[in-house]
Order: sequence, then structure tokens, then C-alpha cells
Amino acid sequence: MTLPVAQERVWIEAQAVGRTRKRWLRELLANVIPAAIGLAAVLAVWEAWVRLRDVKPYIVPSPSRVAERLYADPWLFAEEGLKTLEGAMLGFLVGAGVAFALATVMAQSRFLERSIFPLAILVKVTPIVAVAPLLTIWFGFGLMPKVFIAALIVFFPIMVNALVGFRSVNPNALALLESLAASRSEVFLRLRLPSSLPYVFAAFRVSIPLSVIGAVVAEWFSGDRGLGSVIYIANNNLDMATAFGGVFTLAIIGVGLFLLTSALERRLLFWHESTLDVR
Amino acid sequence: MTSEHYPEPVPEQRTNSHVLIEGVGMVYEVSERPLPALEGIDLTVRRGEFVSVIGPSGCGKSTLLRIIGGLQSPTRGRVLIDGTPPREAQRRKQVGVVFQDPSLLPWRSVIENVRLPLQVNGGQAGKRTDGQRDYPERLIELVGLDAFRGYYPHQLSGGMQQRVALARCLVTSPSLLLMDEPFGSLDEITRSAMRYELLRVWRSEAAERDSTVIFVTHSITEAVLLSDRVVVMTPRPGRVAATLEIDLPRPRDEEVEVSESFLEYTRRLRALLRERSLA
Repeated sequence: MTLPVAQERVWIEAQAVGRTRKRWLRELLANVIPAAIGLAAVLAVWEAWVRLRDVKPYIVPSPSRVAERLYADPWLFAEEGLKTLEGAMLGFLVGAGVAFALATVMAQSRFLERSIFPLAILVKVTPIVAVAPLLTIWFGFGLMPKVFIAALIVFFPIMVNALVGFRSVNPNALALLESLAASRSEVFLRLRLPSSLPYVFAAFRVSIPLSVIGAVVAEWFSGDRGLGSVIYIANNNLDMATAFGGVFTLAIIGVGLFLLTSALERRLLFWHESTLDVR
Repeated sequence: MTSEHYPEPVPEQRTNSHVLIEGVGMVYEVSERPLPALEGIDLTVRRGEFVSVIGPSGCGKSTLLRIIGGLQSPTRGRVLIDGTPPREAQRRKQVGVVFQDPSLLPWRSVIENVRLPLQVNGGQAGKRTDGQRDYPERLIELVGLDAFRGYYPHQLSGGMQQRVALARCLVTSPSLLLMDEPFGSLDEITRSAMRYELLRVWRSEAAERDSTVIFVTHSITEAVLLSDRVVVMTPRPGRVAATLEIDLPRPRDEEVEVSESFLEYTRRLRALLRERSLA
């Protein structure tokens, strides 16, 4: 027998959940339209400024000139963009993998945490750009330096957040598993790992754009391919339309990755407060 | 001391004792100063008995419950469940716990939460291939949540979440149920309904196995309504001040709450608590 009071409450809450679906679409539209207007306004001001002040195209190109350049040679930007994306994503995967492994190890004991964490901070505070030229000597040109730098940049925020997440568990849920004599690894897999996801995703939001930055930096120094080297070469030739075309492509890649992360987060963290805006 | 409420020491073989608590004491270290939480607790709980532990906040009743469940080790004395240490009972999945907060895993649906204790340590989730309802499903039906099997905790009201926690604690067929103010955070209407719900579930599922319940509460009504025996504890450090046998007929329903003997028991319990807190 279910109580009428509780039953009624559940129906109300179930309706609220259904309502958020539609509201989500409304909110998306409500967010996209103002953003588009804002972007259009900035581009219009830029275009007007370049035309009225007669700014030289080798100083700042007008948006229309950049668009022309993009339209004239879309495959160049698409192909080189994919090269950059490849480096960034591989770097992200490697960095995230190492970060997860170390956080898992550190979650097991305070001693390991105290021995690994300072090393991680050392890596973190070292300006990676300073060692970037060395990477060419070590790894040559191509994919490896990109992966290395991107991995190095994303590693720290993911490791820290994963570690905090592994420790941020509901104490009673932990007690429940202990009352069933659950092993350490079982507690980790069934409780700590899922509990860490909201924290890990917060780190992903920060580190995915960082991985693209890392790949571009590597391409400046040691890239034969990728948008980083496209921009670098165009800069040297004072070909600003191409340089800005590369920047625009990078911006599009960044937005795409951000939206992908958000979508994944919405799917995996459907149960978490951050994605439940029922209020 | 109101010695009339102390149980006479009875020979072991006659009581069929299930839980044996011998001289249990707990001292915490708070800023390098010893803080005694429990002192000299002796208690024998019979098989199939429903015992409530009542006392003011901070009297260590939750600590006592954690010690009985093997979630915490006492600094003195020992606990035996069926003659074995609590950890042994945990391994046999003979201990079921319910806390004040339902502590469901938010990423698991109702049915998945109820299956969890069975899955811990590589157990089967109790799924049946013959299309019959398995035990977790029947428990969900028993607590009146049949229509909400696939719902997630955030879609349920507090009372319904606590029903899920109740079903979850029963799923391993434990012989000992430990409940730490399970209805403490529910509103009064839901709470009084849940008391009868618990009695009904305990009778239909647990009583045939002669399950013992140790129930921590600070509600006098709740203690009298549910229990065979109420243990009154003193404020810090927690000691057993008195025990009160509740000799009301079972099954108990709303009629019991207005009976003369029920009111007499609540009067006596209130007097005991008042006496102890002034002492």
C-alpha cells in the first residue's frame, strides 16, 4: 500500500522533471539568440572600424576579408584544424589517463599522496612554454610534442579534481558498503568513482580548451602541420587574413568541444544537482 | 536509579541472545583531550526482539549503533552477534543498516539501489530468468513503490526514498537490522505512517526469519509504539540508565496509540528521560 500523500508528491515531482525537458529547449534558444546578437554586434563594429579608419589589412583584417579567406580555402583550415584537434585530443586522453591513475593511487594512502602531490605541483608550476623548444630536440616534429604539451597542461586540474571527488562521498553510503564488508576496490568502483564525476567534469570543462592551447603552442615551435603552424607562417608573411582564419577555426573547435563536454555531462550526470534545475 | 526497570540477569541459554554487548566504552580524542562518549554499556538483545535506544542528542546512541554494526571499534569491551564479532556478521551479510538520510546512490534507479547489497563482493543481483519477480522486486512491491522501480532518487519524496532504503536493508535477508533515526528527517505525517509501514514490513518479511531490530530514536511515541523493550541512555558519557519492557499486543495499529496502557508507557518513559537528564 502506497500512501496517497507520498504518491501525490511523486507525481508532482515527476511532472516537474518532464517540464524541464521543454524548458531546456526554451533556455537553449534563450541563450543562443542573445549570444548570436552579441557576436554579430562585435563583428559589425570590427568591420566598421577597419573600413572607416582604413586599417591596413596586414595590421588587422576586416571580418569580411577573413570570411573570404576561409571560404576560398576551407579544406586548408579543416585539414590543419583536424591535425591540431588530433594532437589536443590525444594529449587530453594521455593527460587525463595519467591524472586518473595518479589520483586513484593517491586516494589509497596519505603517504602516497604526500610523495606524489609535490611532484605534480612541480610539473604544474614549471612554465611549459619554456621547455617547448626542447621538445623538438627530444621528439622531433609532428604529433609527439603536441601530445606531450597538451597532456602536461590538462594533467593537473584533472588529477586534483579527481582526488577531491574520490574523497567526497556520502559518509552513510560509505558506511552502508562497509556494513556489507565491501572491499576497498569495490568501494572505489561502486561509490568513489561515480561520486567523483561531477568534480572530474568541472576539470574537463577547464582542461579541454587548455589541451587545444597546448597543441597550438607545440605547433608554433615544432609543428610542420596544424593551425598553430598555419598561424605562425601567416604571421611571418604578414598574411593576416590567413592568421585570423586560423584563429576563427580554433574558436569554432573550442566551442564544439565545449558543447560536446556539456552534452556528455548532461547525459552522465543526470542525477547531479548541477544538471537538475527543477527550481 | 530506578532499579525496578533493570532486567534481572538471566542465564544465557534461556534468553536465546542474539546480540551481546559487554562493557562497551568509547573515548574520543578531541584536541588531545579524552572525551568519553560511551561508558560501560551492557546489553543483551534476544533474537527477534525489537529494541529501541532513546536518549537526548549527543548521548552516543548513534556511536553505539555503529559499534554494534562493526563500523567503528569500541575503545573498551566487545560486541558479539551470534557469538561472532560484528565484522564476521558483516561478511555473512547478516547486518542491515538504515540511516536518517536515505543515502541512496543517486546514479542508480530504485531497483538498482535495492539490488546493490546483493551485488557487493561479486554476489548475484538476484535476477531471475524465468520471468518471475525476484526478491528485490518483491521488496519494492512490499514497500509500495512498484510503480517507481525505474525512478531515480531525485524524483522521489523523502518518505519514498526512505522506503527504498528500507527495502535495500532487507534484501540480503539480514538477521540484524540497525536503524539510526530512520524517520528523523521526515515530516510528522509521513513519519507516523512510516512507523506502521516498518512494523508491517518487519512482520511480513523479517519476522519469519526472527530478525532482531535495534532502533535509535529520540521520539518517545516511536519508541513505545515499535518496541518490545526501550533502553534509556544518559547524556554524555552515554550509559544505560534504565530499560523499559513494552508489553503491548502485536500487531499494533493506530488503536494502540490511544490505549490507556500505551499512554502509561509514554508517561513512564518521559519520566525516566526527565529524571536522567536532570541527574
